[in-house]
Amino acid sequence: MRRIAFSIAKSRTKFLLLLLLAEIIFLSCISPYFLNLNNLLQVTQFGATLTLLSLGESLVMIGGRDGIDISVGASMSLSGVVFGLAVIHGTGILGAVLITLAGGVVFGMINGMLIAMAKVPALIATLGTQYVYGSLALYLTGGIPISGFPESFKKLSLESTFGIPNQIIFVIVPVTVLVFVLIYMTKFGRRVYLLGTNSEAAKYTGIRETRIRMGIYTLTGVLAAVSAIINNSWLMTARADAGTGMEMQAITVAVLGGIGVAGGVGHLGGVLIGIVIITMMNSGLQIANVNSVWQLAVLGMILIMAIILNHMMQQFVTRVEKAGQ
Amino acid sequence: MLKKYVPKPGRREYVTFLLLLAEIILFGILAPNFLTADNLIRVVQNNAEIAIVSIGMTIVMLLGGIDLSVGSVMGVIAIVIGYMLQADIHILLIAAAAIGIGILLGLINGFLIARFDIPDMIVTLATMNIWKAVIFGLLGGKWLTGLSPAYAAITRAKFLGIPLLLIFILLIYAAFYYFLMYRKLGRHIYATGCNPQSANLSGINIQRIKMISYCISGGIVAVAAMLYIARMGSVEMTIGADLPIACIAAVTIGGTGAKGNGKRGSVIGTLAGVLFIAFLKNGIVILGIPSLLENCFIGMLIILSVLSDAVTSGRNKKGVTV
Repeated sequence: MRRIAFSIAKSRTKFLLLLLLAEIIFLSCISPYFLNLNNLLQVTQFGATLTLLSLGESLVMIGGRDGIDISVGASMSLSGVVFGLAVIHGTGILGAVLITLAGGVVFGMINGMLIAMAKVPALIATLGTQYVYGSLALYLTGGIPISGFPESFKKLSLESTFGIPNQIIFVIVPVTVLVFVLIYMTKFGRRVYLLGTNSEAAKYTGIRETRIRMGIYTLTGVLAAVSAIINNSWLMTARADAGTGMEMQAITVAVLGGIGVAGGVGHLGGVLIGIVIITMMNSGLQIANVNSVWQLAVLGMILIMAIILNHMMQQFVTRVEKAGQ
Repeated sequence: MLKKYVPKPGRREYVTFLLLLAEIILFGILAPNFLTADNLIRVVQNNAEIAIVSIGMTIVMLLGGIDLSVGSVMGVIAIVIGYMLQADIHILLIAAAAIGIGILLGLINGFLIARFDIPDMIVTLATMNIWKAVIFGLLGGKWLTGLSPAYAAITRAKFLGIPLLLIFILLIYAAFYYFLMYRKLGRHIYATGCNPQSANLSGINIQRIKMISYCISGGIVAVAAMLYIARMGSVEMTIGADLPIACIAAVTIGGTGAKGNGKRGSVIGTLAGVLFIAFLKNGIVILGIPSLLENCFIGMLIILSVLSDAVTSGRNKKGVTV
């Protein structure tokens, strides 16, 4: 029994899977419709935008130096608005996608430049850009959602292939795989972790910190832009407040998934399980007709509990290891 | 006898005041109805809560922390005050209860942050959302209205032609300036923000200091909540939504850096920052610039002010090591 507890405390993945199992049992007790393959597949589309934003947020946090990106939500809103304006001005969907991705690169790079080159604390820099991006999105739309996308644009997010929502199978899965390959199979990824673990040591091994850090924030901006496109297709409008509050959810998912706030710690696999947990919880609460204000509150409580649990499990692990020696 | 070391506000604070002066002159020239007594009083009134809450935010940020929950905490307290006013409880009792709740909610933040070593931002982000749900629960989707308008008169009262509210705000700032510069606890806050390790080694309980700073922040938010309810006479769901960001912006522009820059800054700088943003917002409206762009200007200002800090401190560091 003690051995099992120890192995769960030591492995984040096992702990998260246990939490997921508890959640599934709880939710299927509340609603008999929950545990149905069709429903489960449909639930995944609620987590589509969150997946991309959380991956970006996690990378920023893994990169260390108090890395955080509060502007992801606003950046997603602004990218979505750029996409909407591009479509309205007749660039076609493909052109609009390219413009939006370029926009994502720019928005991310501005963050990266402020943080990596000018050495502004990430929290303050992205707070500032959150203000700027959010305000620009609002100004560009004049507060009125942009609509009038062609009908074919629906295919991306409102239709399914083999019962799996299109945006999951054609966007989320490939992009996630790409990010995983980039982080766990290339030099870039190793360097991101090294920067987070010990940026001094990284510097002495000849890693160009500025370049890597710029890369991380730019990637986060691109991921926010991709999620904006998906979201536009899902709602068939571009709203200036589409990403409002998403940064909170993204940070929550990252921390729940085991990403250390100090940097260098955590695996993106844990983040993916975290996304499943939060998405299921949100849809479960929606089925149970709970107001979205409470969903955020529950999220907040899960966040605090997760960190306290982290703390306690860490102490437990060190105690057991000491006793074993 | 050792001469007592009393640090004075640095160059950064004076720069903010100069900027403020330049801004007032600029708007004064551009808009003829900017420098009128009515307008200036309105600016003070509209920013009273930001001015007061920013003091607490300054203290928290001096320690390298951040408090995102101030807006929701203000909402919760304002609603409690509203219900107590409706129940005809004595005004002093209400004030005591409000400040008590404020300190308690601040203590929750401080306890989680200091005891479990959770990053400030994560804790206050979480509590912000939890209190938001509590506001929703307390209001039940309606507005809290029907409060006596008698208190609104107090916030508009004048003493020798100067708004009472302005005098009140300046007094609080003076009190906290004295507290932070000349009292032992205040100096401990600076010491801890400057270098937690050495503060700890010289016998300062840094966990305690951290908790106290959040308690002060919570208590001062309660004062702002009282002002809010006296001024507005009603509470709605979105109360305090913009408050944390506005305060962080004011504190940052005032020269109190976020993480790692703890040793710098003072409430004097914060006062300058608050006034700077207040006049900027007012000027934007008077000049007829689209108000949707207002936050864009503030965001750029935050970035610019931290950028100038980062550039100058970077240069200093190079000068020392090379």
